[in-house]
Amino acid sequence: MKVSLAWLQSYFDTPLPEAQVISDALTFHAFEIESIEGDTLDVKVTPNRGHDCLSHRGIAKELSAILNLPLKADPLRAPLPELPESGKVRMLIEDTERVPVGAAAYVKGVKIGPSPAWLKERLEAVGQRSINNVVDATNYVMFDIGMPAHAFDATTFKEGEGIVYGIRTSEKGEKVTLLGGTSVELTGKEAVIMNAAREAVDIGGVKGGALAEMKSDTTDLVLSTSKFASVETRKAAQRFNQRTEAAKRFENEMADDLAVYGIYAVAKLISEVAGGEIVGYGIARARKISPQQVAVSVPQVNATLGTTFGVDDVVDVWKRLDLTHVQEGETFTVTPPFERLDIAIPEDLVEEVGRIIGYDKVSPAELSPFQKHPEINKNFYAAEKVREEFVSKGYSEVLTSVFADKGERQVLNKVGGEKPYLRATLVDGLKEAYEKNNRNKDLLGLTEVKIFEIGTVWGKKDEKILIGTADSQGIQEKPLESASASAYENLPVSTTERYQSFSRYPSIVRDIAIWVPNGTEPVEVLKIVQQHAGDLLVRSEKFDEYKNEKTGKTSYAFRLIFQSFDRTLTDEDANQRMESVYAGVEEKGWEVR
Amino acid sequence: MERGHIHPISSLIREANRIFLDMGFSFAEGPLLESEHYNFDMLNFPKDHPARDMQDTFFIKDEPGYVLRTHTSNVQGRYMEAQMKAGNLPPYRIIVPGKVFRNEATDMTHEAEFFQIEGLAVGEDVTLANLKGTLARFFKELFKGASVEIRFRPSFFPFTEPSVEVDMRLVGADVPEKLRDKWIEMMGAGMVHPNVLKNAGVDPTKYRGFAFGMGLDRLAMLRWGIDDVRLMHSADLRFVNQF
Repeated sequence: MKVSLAWLQSYFDTPLPEAQVISDALTFHAFEIESIEGDTLDVKVTPNRGHDCLSHRGIAKELSAILNLPLKADPLRAPLPELPESGKVRMLIEDTERVPVGAAAYVKGVKIGPSPAWLKERLEAVGQRSINNVVDATNYVMFDIGMPAHAFDATTFKEGEGIVYGIRTSEKGEKVTLLGGTSVELTGKEAVIMNAAREAVDIGGVKGGALAEMKSDTTDLVLSTSKFASVETRKAAQRFNQRTEAAKRFENEMADDLAVYGIYAVAKLISEVAGGEIVGYGIARARKISPQQVAVSVPQVNATLGTTFGVDDVVDVWKRLDLTHVQEGETFTVTPPFERLDIAIPEDLVEEVGRIIGYDKVSPAELSPFQKHPEINKNFYAAEKVREEFVSKGYSEVLTSVFADKGERQVLNKVGGEKPYLRATLVDGLKEAYEKNNRNKDLLGLTEVKIFEIGTVWGKKDEKILIGTADSQGIQEKPLESASASAYENLPVSTTERYQSFSRYPSIVRDIAIWVPNGTEPVEVLKIVQQHAGDLLVRSEKFDEYKNEKTGKTSYAFRLIFQSFDRTLTDEDANQRMESVYAGVEEKGWEVR
Repeated sequence: MERGHIHPISSLIREANRIFLDMGFSFAEGPLLESEHYNFDMLNFPKDHPARDMQDTFFIKDEPGYVLRTHTSNVQGRYMEAQMKAGNLPPYRIIVPGKVFRNEATDMTHEAEFFQIEGLAVGEDVTLANLKGTLARFFKELFKGASVEIRFRPSFFPFTEPSVEVDMRLVGADVPEKLRDKWIEMMGAGMVHPNVLKNAGVDPTKYRGFAFGMGLDRLAMLRWGIDDVRLMHSADLRFVNQF
């Protein structure tokens, strides 16, 4: 979620530190920061804190605890607004399963127009385009306290002096045109907001509809901050490919009471920025949630974290986080605030202590000695034995993909759709690997390609590990047979320091045979060859030798491999290098055969 | 006869197994084609929770309730449950090196199939400080001679509480320059969620545990300076024969 530092500052009297300090504070005590751009932080709020932290208020609350700076005012600590019963807003919540709290307001006489500068700036700082004062006010409330809000033209909701605001379950096959013009067909599994004629004007929690869209001359509004159930909203958003900011917040679940704070905040802000009169509010609760207490003791905190925190340290954390608690000796019973749905078990409180004090206070400690005897894994032991056996015979180990063009079982949803089967054999992968490597045999300096794989394959009902080999004799596979042992063998590990990237372009092979006086060392000859072959020579070795006693000369044959890192070499490239080699050889008084 | 070469992942697993065995960890394994029960439910992933979306799961055709495992953590529940059924109470210490899957497009740093090593230690006295100490020792022995620092940042996983991201920093003249003095994100970890212990039949009021899951491909890439994760499954000897 994009967070504006100016917006955050509005929560504090004390000037906040610079962006980097805030970023570090959040990183080490709350959330990962994806990026900092000017005065905007992109905060990666974890799914367990989507309840309260997809909002500037939530992030400000976190910062307040981490930096130990008091909030100027906390909108969610004001008493729950008591909304006067006007009789002008009739609530008709039929789908209470998908809507635990219905919240609406009726506002008359607004003047839709541009937003004031401060409101525009706030929204633009978090990457939102300003639309008009009413839409901007609804978005502001969502980004400020986390409650999605929507404003409708009230015309079709009217009933006598007031309005009727309803929510029902959609009907299968029912069509709704969404804001922006997309038309979707409902499935009977969505909650929809309806007008007085029971027409769907909004897919609950996901997106508003065109039917009750505000026009530039709209004066009367129905405002909605009903709370939609998380799972159903998430599924609906996926179904219609509308993962809106609202849907993102509903799918993480939020506190029922937030809907009440939300409707009050949005009605108030709209009357401030667009004028008009708040005719009435409507709240319909399908349930009453009582606060849940969670107890944790200081010894429990220390036994989990491996720390030596004292009672005072823990009290300080509760204070910073604004967690109401009752202390009894070293045990605390905490009553989490209504919006902290994530605090449910003692371990949640242990986490609060650990992260607020800081995990840098957790000193590394080794585990106590293990009193049992570790088990020797039969499959791993056997696989290691096989590995060593093949490596000692000159085979190299490869891994090929488990995804294949054919097999007994199939993956349902592979990205791209290629090779959707799970392999039933190692043979196909090894065949391809053998052929590919065989083409690079010279480059690899191998006389024969020999590879093996120890890999999982799937039959109709089972999963098993096979050993496969590929060499010039063909391709074979057999099951890995597990083996018992009392200890693992001490086998060598790679001693390679650094990997050297290799060229992906094809190489060219040239052979050269050179007559030199008997007694000339091959390395001496190779050195001259290498000197004149240049940078494109990636591999060179002697592969034949013939001594002629009569002439007193020896012939050495070398295989030269040319390759470039940035292009495919042409014959002409190789010819040029060979000409240069010939010239070098002749300069030495040797003779090219 | 000139020796062939083992795959760098195999070398890393061999080395990791040796280091963890010294600390009492057994090598454990589990199926790659796994039930949602062990891959998600046992690990405290609520049904229909967005946390399941984070996993980009491959589902199996005509086998509802089965997936290609998204992590080696499936073995946590399997191992503890089997031990409890056999009457073996904790302490438990296991590592689970093995292949895991994520349904995503591949590029130089992302693969649909890759390797992870899971670690799980359960006992009466296991702490988050032990997690730090265990990982510090592992990296110290793996990056021989380097001085290792471990840093935790808060995070969230359904199967650990508290949850942390683990960063590592290597200090010392022997450390390859690209790694020296830099904090590197290594893995997710945390204290085993009491529901995970409970689901496997272990008493969470008596026992605690830590768990971690580290990407082995990424570790290999850091260790040897490998620039493309897709090399791991390339079966290309120009790659393998360098190890």
